Amino acid sequence: MESVINVAALLVFPGGLFVIVTGLFYQWIDRKIIARLQNRLGPRWFQPFADTVKSLAKEEVVPDHVNPFLFVALPIAALAGALTAALYVPMAGLRPAFSFPGDLIVTVYMLSLLTLCTGLAGANTRDRFSLVGATRALTQLFAYEAPFLLALLGPAIVAGSWQISEITAYAQAHTWMLVMQPIGFIVALIGLMGKLELPPFDSPEAETEIVAGAMTEYSGRGLAVFHLGQAVELVIGLTLITSFYMGGFSNPLEFLLKTIGVLVVLAGLQSLMTRLRIDQTVGMWWRYGALLVLAQWLVLFVVELLYT
Amino acid sequence: MTAVTTPKKEKFIVPIGPQHPALKEPGHFEFAVDGEVVTDATVRLGYVHRGIEKGAENRNWTQNLYLVERICGICSHIHALTYALGVEALAEVEAPPRAQAIRVLVAELERVHSHLLWFGIAAHEAGFDTLFMYSWRDRETIMDILEALTGNRVNYSANLLGGVKFDVTDAQRAIILEGINFLEERTHHYLNVATSDGMFLQRTRGIGVTRLQDAQRLGIVGPTARASGVMRDVRVDAPYAAYDAFPINIVIETSGDLEARFVVRLKELFESFRLIREILDNLPPGDLQVKRFPRRIKPGEVISRVEAPRGEVFYYIRSNGSEQPDRVKVRTPTLCNMASVLSLSIGHHLADVPMLLVGIDPCFSCNDRGVVVCSSEGSHDQWTWERLRQYGIEYYAKKV
Repeated sequence: MESVINVAALLVFPGGLFVIVTGLFYQWIDRKIIARLQNRLGPRWFQPFADTVKSLAKEEVVPDHVNPFLFVALPIAALAGALTAALYVPMAGLRPAFSFPGDLIVTVYMLSLLTLCTGLAGANTRDRFSLVGATRALTQLFAYEAPFLLALLGPAIVAGSWQISEITAYAQAHTWMLVMQPIGFIVALIGLMGKLELPPFDSPEAETEIVAGAMTEYSGRGLAVFHLGQAVELVIGLTLITSFYMGGFSNPLEFLLKTIGVLVVLAGLQSLMTRLRIDQTVGMWWRYGALLVLAQWLVLFVVELLYT
Repeated sequence: MTAVTTPKKEKFIVPIGPQHPALKEPGHFEFAVDGEVVTDATVRLGYVHRGIEKGAENRNWTQNLYLVERICGICSHIHALTYALGVEALAEVEAPPRAQAIRVLVAELERVHSHLLWFGIAAHEAGFDTLFMYSWRDRETIMDILEALTGNRVNYSANLLGGVKFDVTDAQRAIILEGINFLEERTHHYLNVATSDGMFLQRTRGIGVTRLQDAQRLGIVGPTARASGVMRDVRVDAPYAAYDAFPINIVIETSGDLEARFVVRLKELFESFRLIREILDNLPPGDLQVKRFPRRIKPGEVISRVEAPRGEVFYYIRSNGSEQPDRVKVRTPTLCNMASVLSLSIGHHLADVPMLLVGIDPCFSCNDRGVVVCSSEGSHDQWTWERLRQYGIEYYAKKV
């Protein structure tokens, strides 16, 4: 019985179909809102699903001079990493499938696997656009990773645990941490945009310079799987941020409302900003992002010292 | 003794074009990069060569009016205007004042459309798609005006040899004024965005700085030159059509960076709006075209210059006394400005390259027209239109 539940957790909820479907749905909301903000109509609700099905059905062209094993395996590893991360996150207000002390760190690093795989996939193909895109993706990874992790550790420190479910339980019982740690919330939100390579942090896939960045040579299945990975990551990122900073959630409806609320903010930010150059992205993260989070940590420690 | 090969330092070259998302037309650039920084740049043009100059020699004077209009889809009226002015000078015929004023009216409307189009594309290259969508939505207003006025959205076909085709009615006047008022308001907004949006300024301020001396040395024309402080505008230097009756004020910026190019083009829009209103209010009375325009034009040659939205358009037209021109040579502003892109991009980041390229408002199909008639032996071989066409057919048949 135990194994049946585990398999279901991997395939259906929260690890498999559920996050993928939710991710595609969220991507549609994101695209639709941006389109409406830009005075366009935007896609119909099934467009991300249709795109995925179409790409999955198409032939995957493996270019010359690549390691074919890596070429096929990297998208799968990226999606697997993202899906594994989903197992530790309390989806839709329900208990996570697996949980152990310190799973926050595992989750965050499983999420990084997608960027890492993107970078390796770009470096694997002998395309100049891919190489430049891969370099940028990895450069950007080193820029936002630390501030993003630090921003997620802020609530962990207050809750006194590095276990996602415990932090969520703590967040539910106390005032929204958005109020207590506003800087951490902003850095986490913008960090998520960096992680998902959304504008203004989309220089790794800037279409006007390097076509599609690291993804240039990918087509068909590989591309679809990478996109699914991004969709999954979008859901996990939104869930983590809302459950930590916006008082957690106790039921699926609350989950939907809160995460979509954050998604609307993300879409608004995306349509407001100009793409940054990679040096500007890195400079911004280390100069402002990291320092702001550290300043907030300092405040947290001082407050904790005073109260205990 | 064995040959010693010195290890050649290999360059990492990022190609842009011929088919590339940054360029809507085919042009091939090769940027050698060191990490993200561009160290060398070359360009290859000529992908959209259509043999128009050669084609012009096989059509009569009137037919050519429609041919040159198709050199560019954005500044089509300007090409027809330059050609018409040149041919009129050759034939020693002058279009009536009302026709000249209407020509200027259409030219200025076209400038508004061209600058708004450029503004959107430049924003898109910077990754600011919202601005792109908004400016193109507003550009529809001017497209509708042009359609209401001339009946066409792209090739307006306003010119005749010795006049224009249509008059401006009161209904059209009202449509134009209403559209212009709306666009003026929007342009104020865009100018505000282009000069105050912090994220956008990070991509434009201090990028691609062309100093006055460099601009003069490279012979840059149009708004790109005026953004570097060069006082150069054909409408002022050598007024044509009705520009002596309706003078313009040159818009000048001195900083020479991308931001200045944005500011110059947007401020030029206000000049255009002012001029359009002035022309509509003071349209000179009289005929729209001369009574008779000669079929044959006596031998002679003429140079005709006009300020297109991008800069100076230059036509050289020669007649040998027949019904057809002996030679029509076109030089468009893109060619003058192209050198500045190559020299500017060195030292800049790869991410700035599309912005720099778009900063000059390139138009490749305007650009690509030259016909090479020199064979390797150096003998000058005249190609007929028929031979050129046959060559084209065989060339593509071989490719397939």
